[in-house]
Amino acid sequence: MMDSSHRITFDSVSDELLAVADSALSHGRSVAPDAEVEVFVYFSKSMEVEIDQGIVTAKDGAVAGAAARVALGKRIGFASASGVSDDRVKSCVDNALEVAKSVNVEDPRFEGFCDPAGQGRDGAFDDRILELGTDDLIRWAQEVIEEAKKVDERVKIVSSSGEAWWGGYAVANTRGVLGATRFGGNVITSNIQAIEGEERRGSFEFDAARDRLVEREGLGARAAERAVSLLGAKKLDYTGEMKTVWAPIPASTYIASSLSRSVLGKPVVEGISPLCDRLGDKIAPDFLTIVDDGQSPKSMGTYAIDAEGHPQRDNVVIKDGVLKGFLFNSYYARAFDVDPTGNAVRGGGLFGSAIPYEVGVEVGTKHMDVAPGRRPLEDIVSSIGGRAVLIHDFPLGIFHTDVATGEFSIVANSVFLIEDGEIKHSIQPVSVAGNFYKGLTDLVEAGSDVRSLPWNVTVGTLVFDGFSVVG
Amino acid sequence: MIEALERGIEEGERLGADFVEARFEDLTLRTLERTDDTWRDIQVKSRRGVAITCYVDGTAGFSFAASSDAATVVEAVGRAYKMARASASAAMLKLPFDRDEPVSPTPSYRPKIGVHPRERDLTYKTELVSRAVETAREHAKNVRNIRGLYGELYGDKVVVNSDGSKIQWDFLVTELRVRVTSRTGSGDMVAGMEGFGGTFGLDRYETEPYNPESMGKVAAERANEQLEARPCPAGKFRGLIENRLVGVLAHESFGHLSEADFVVTGGSPLTGKVGERLGTEHATIIDSGIVDIESYGGLWVPFDDQGTPASETVVLERGVLKHYLHNRGTAKKLGQRPTGNARAVNFTFPPIVRMTNTYFAPGDLTEEEAIELVGTGVYAIQTFGGQVQGDGSFLFKALRGYWIEDREIKYPIREVSLSGNVLDLLGKVEGATRDLRLYSGYFGGCGKGGQAPLPVGLGGPKLVIDGITFGGKS
Repeated sequence: MMDSSHRITFDSVSDELLAVADSALSHGRSVAPDAEVEVFVYFSKSMEVEIDQGIVTAKDGAVAGAAARVALGKRIGFASASGVSDDRVKSCVDNALEVAKSVNVEDPRFEGFCDPAGQGRDGAFDDRILELGTDDLIRWAQEVIEEAKKVDERVKIVSSSGEAWWGGYAVANTRGVLGATRFGGNVITSNIQAIEGEERRGSFEFDAARDRLVEREGLGARAAERAVSLLGAKKLDYTGEMKTVWAPIPASTYIASSLSRSVLGKPVVEGISPLCDRLGDKIAPDFLTIVDDGQSPKSMGTYAIDAEGHPQRDNVVIKDGVLKGFLFNSYYARAFDVDPTGNAVRGGGLFGSAIPYEVGVEVGTKHMDVAPGRRPLEDIVSSIGGRAVLIHDFPLGIFHTDVATGEFSIVANSVFLIEDGEIKHSIQPVSVAGNFYKGLTDLVEAGSDVRSLPWNVTVGTLVFDGFSVVG
Repeated sequence: MIEALERGIEEGERLGADFVEARFEDLTLRTLERTDDTWRDIQVKSRRGVAITCYVDGTAGFSFAASSDAATVVEAVGRAYKMARASASAAMLKLPFDRDEPVSPTPSYRPKIGVHPRERDLTYKTELVSRAVETAREHAKNVRNIRGLYGELYGDKVVVNSDGSKIQWDFLVTELRVRVTSRTGSGDMVAGMEGFGGTFGLDRYETEPYNPESMGKVAAERANEQLEARPCPAGKFRGLIENRLVGVLAHESFGHLSEADFVVTGGSPLTGKVGERLGTEHATIIDSGIVDIESYGGLWVPFDDQGTPASETVVLERGVLKHYLHNRGTAKKLGQRPTGNARAVNFTFPPIVRMTNTYFAPGDLTEEEAIELVGTGVYAIQTFGGQVQGDGSFLFKALRGYWIEDREIKYPIREVSLSGNVLDLLGKVEGATRDLRLYSGYFGGCGKGGQAPLPVGLGGPKLVIDGITFGGKS
């Protein structure tokens, strides 16, 4: 059968997906009148270009598919299929029903799919993103590369990539949920290696947005300047506890790999999150307030409904250092005896699946917004007496940490030595180790220099005492 | 299906493409997860679609669609061709390659699969998971949570290209995992894990030591041991690195640097170093899509996604860099043979240079001799995975281990990170044990260029390496 998804436009995506979801749900009602049925239909069209040392690669296509869950009492089947034709989506319902019938195992915690609770707002979207073509993305990448190369002759390896996408998803279930949401965005990146002799230092910059076209100017130059500034790195020659200053990008990875995982319904209900029995406790200093905001118009994590059809909203996680709440989909909310928080996801997060409809419903953050502190990175650096390590870019290994233990160890490659209020020089990669949860209590300061990152964290510089540094 | 793909090849060539590849996959994925007594959704997934790459003047354009009829294929070819043409005019570095004779569609090696997962129903597979979870429960202390996972991925992969090659093969990977999380007296969480996976039939899960009962018991015993484990000292030590972790070292810290797409751009520190000594005589690293799975384990990848047959590539031979891992364009550019390493994680992505089974070759030490060679240091075992950067610096996590002192194992240690720069490290490999083990699986996998998780195999013997930085309590 000819796939009709090529006819879907940004204007029509919600209606088209809703129609398919509703039709498949009706099919489910007819073949399994005693079952609970849920249908999820997803469509995302994207275009990508990368220029890497002169090699140009371009890609486009539409990720389109559906998933169905069918529950016979507490026996639940999940099936997904690529394609959004009526037949393929209905086949998901049939396959999920077959699974539910054929296995004899139950989920005693299951109390039903999501109840209808209305709809939130879609995020902002700049229609000019729809007009972008391969030629535009190639030109953007060329601009970034040209700018980076002008910075210094030691900038040797330069790549840039651009991507534009739009799409939507719809959810329908037999409890009365019937909703859809749209999304879209564009991103430009710059990846640099500066080389001098055998020494190689890398840096990365990007801009991503859904409410505007990305800002290219300055992007290549910033990454190139950072990479060059790392050359000539000296050995730290120290093993022991030391103050560490995490610029907004590494600070965001700290939040994304610790709190963004440990406040989720699954590890909380299963009792493996060390925070699971700490609601109301002081777990961080007074200045730390974090809200997970599922409705901030400019955030990539904003949708009108979450991945099971519940309206997204904002949820306070930490207020003045006190743990105030966890994040739930309907399944874990019922298990914890609270209302859902609109945090159902399918394959979301920093390492989200390219095929979200293949992933079961889990819990994820929407956008962790860390309240700004009182001063930016520069002022924080000048206030530091003695020695500290300043970390930029992505720390290596920060996501290879077990949420249960919180023990982390990273290698920071983009590092500078701070001494008596000044950035002295770059240093060779250092290993930083500690415990995420103890780190929260050892947090010294949060900066005012907040940056909104597309992996759904907004945070400024974070300063910690007490981590072990080896370098 | 092959006819629709051939129609696409004709269309691409008619438009003016120098070369066209058309892929199709029709895969089934099943995932079962039990946590304590709770079964989450039992998931069955059907992944079906076409992927088209058109090459114009040494530059590629790629398009895909979740459908397989001839009209959709032709439409995707049109888009891929237009992108290739637009990219070719902007490209400063091009990777053209020559047409070749069609390849034989018969794989040079095929592992024996006793009981294919399609021959057993879901109830049999849920039982596998339950047996592992329930045995773990019998043996574990201070349990917080026990999780069992089973996954399988199998089905047809088809590649047709302008050489006239028409390849169709049956991909298969299965995995069973069990994890025990326990809580120490002081409230810390610790974990014990066991897993087994690769291109295996279900018969392999009924055989020691990877039957569910053995795996559940082992995971519980490891968690029990962790209840008493101490933090690993921080600093630089000599290490004995267990087989699975050696595989991560081979894959993450060296394998990625040997991928020729990083080499043709100069992005890899291995650029221009073929023939140079980078490591000791104990360091030999191989990538192969056709490893002896019956003997060692691993993943069967008889063809890559450009249709190149798999081969065994000795990347590093007794410390000397011999070969890179290639797609057809990088092989031509660097004057080496294509190695069968162009792989795509699924039909929504183009093939890029990826590994298949990457491993260190075994040596001649016994485990006891290796511990003696370490003298004082860390025995690092199992892993959560790792990461590498373009300059060769890496970090990976060992799940558990032992502190070795005076040539004896003294006490168990908690999870610990290992870091360093692989180009330094290869020069400090002091010995390898005799036992070669390869690991693969359904859960997790390799990530590159947004393509994750790609199933890969990795492994090796145990290696004694000096001067590894262990992050822990200082």
